[in-house]
Amino acid sequence: MSLLDVRGLTHMYLGGVTALDGIDLTIKRGVRLAIVGANGAGKTTLLLHLNGTLKPSGGEILMEGRAVGYKSTDLQAWRKRVGLVLQDADDQLFAATVAEDVSFGPLNLGLSDDQARQRVRDALEALGIADLADRPTHMLSFGQKKRVAIAGAFAMQPEIILMDEPTAGLDYQGTCALLAAMKTLEAAGTTLVFTTHDVDMAYGFAHEVAVFDHGKVLAQGEVGEIFRDQSVIDKAGLSIPLTLEIGLKAQSLGLLSATDALPRNRAELLAMLENVQP
Amino acid sequence: MSHLDSVAQVNQWRTKSLIEKSILALGMVVLVLALSPFPTAVMVFIVMVTATLWGAKVPVRLWLTGIAAPLGFLAAGIVPVAFDSPALALGIAMRSIASVSCLVFLAMTTPATDVVRGLRRIGLPSEVSDIALLVYRLLFLFADTASAMNSAQAARLGTVGARRRLNSLGLLLANLLPRAFARAHRMEVGLMARGWHGEMRVLSPSYPVSWPGLVAVLVVEFGVAVIGVVGS
Repeated sequence: MSLLDVRGLTHMYLGGVTALDGIDLTIKRGVRLAIVGANGAGKTTLLLHLNGTLKPSGGEILMEGRAVGYKSTDLQAWRKRVGLVLQDADDQLFAATVAEDVSFGPLNLGLSDDQARQRVRDALEALGIADLADRPTHMLSFGQKKRVAIAGAFAMQPEIILMDEPTAGLDYQGTCALLAAMKTLEAAGTTLVFTTHDVDMAYGFAHEVAVFDHGKVLAQGEVGEIFRDQSVIDKAGLSIPLTLEIGLKAQSLGLLSATDALPRNRAELLAMLENVQP
Repeated sequence: MSHLDSVAQVNQWRTKSLIEKSILALGMVVLVLALSPFPTAVMVFIVMVTATLWGAKVPVRLWLTGIAAPLGFLAAGIVPVAFDSPALALGIAMRSIASVSCLVFLAMTTPATDVVRGLRRIGLPSEVSDIALLVYRLLFLFADTASAMNSAQAARLGTVGARRRLNSLGLLLANLLPRAFARAHRMEVGLMARGWHGEMRVLSPSYPVSWPGLVAVLVVEFGVAVIGVVGS
């Protein structure tokens, strides 16, 4: 079941700063994983390890149970299966127009022009930006650039897409559009892994969460369980997601029974309030 | 620069083949240089202005700003010649203005990336064209960064007075360089993640040559050449 396993991963930056300190993490097929933690906790460094951009100082990464290699052919095969979307879309968009940029990955896979063109069409469609195909990349809004960057990774049809802070800096509508697009990618068989410091988004959207603090994973597990663990949340400098906190309060006040499901998002929270007897 | 790029992206002749546009522009330059300035240069200027403003529908004001800068250089260079030989100066001026109108036409109807791709097709090494395309992309990023930094400096009164403005400009440039390196490094990570291994291949839109268009271009050039030879 597990697609990617991280075992005791350690990363030291030049000068002896430990960015990752013996991390264990499991990415399961089809399970949305949110990696949450304060700024500087090591989330981005971990993502760069997960597609082989960085090489660990210690520990190992297993893909479907087999340790990954770092030869250029290994890396090529690895990156074909694991896509990466950087936080700043401008760091990965380089071609003149949107369609050209998205075609870059598929052509690197060795696909024919026709196949690549089909991949580009499908990816732009999935991200809801088919109308931007011929737009120059430097004339896009922030949210559009983000979606183009994701389309560029998705067009390679990886099994996992790693996204660094996909919703950071997006407005409400942009966030909704992006999350909807991510669900489309998931429906196409891609496993979603993303970093965020937005616990409310992580709680509402992810299935599993890994809590990061100072280069260590404090806990990984089902969002409802992990976010309820006050000691983990406090140690990582995070807060309990608001909907979860309200749900727990409703339970302690006796408005919800202990067996009722707790609300996950805004809509479920409002539905819960409707059902509460005055 | 960004206005020039915008109009090149959205003008009416954006989708015309690079071959038609470059044969029109460069062919006219050859005529201007080969034949006597009157009437050839005048004819060429009229044809190119018509093509730019009426054909490609480039806004007049934008065209004027585009042609103003090279004409400024021309004016500066022509004055000393005019003292020696006014007739020669007039000839040079006419040829220059006509040639500039040809290049402005190409610059305003064809995005720089199309031109680079065209050069690649006729033998420019891909290493050179890849770098040219990347530089083109980065120019816009750095122009954005520089203008944001400049606003930030202005907001803290860093641009009041010539001395401070110079100091701020120095700081800005000094800061842009390490940023350029940091960004280049992140961009490499981004490219590697997408399977890059040395070659930048993308699916470029292709605008096929329209034979009637190409014939029209050649007819116009032939016409200008005939009038140029007969009229001089």
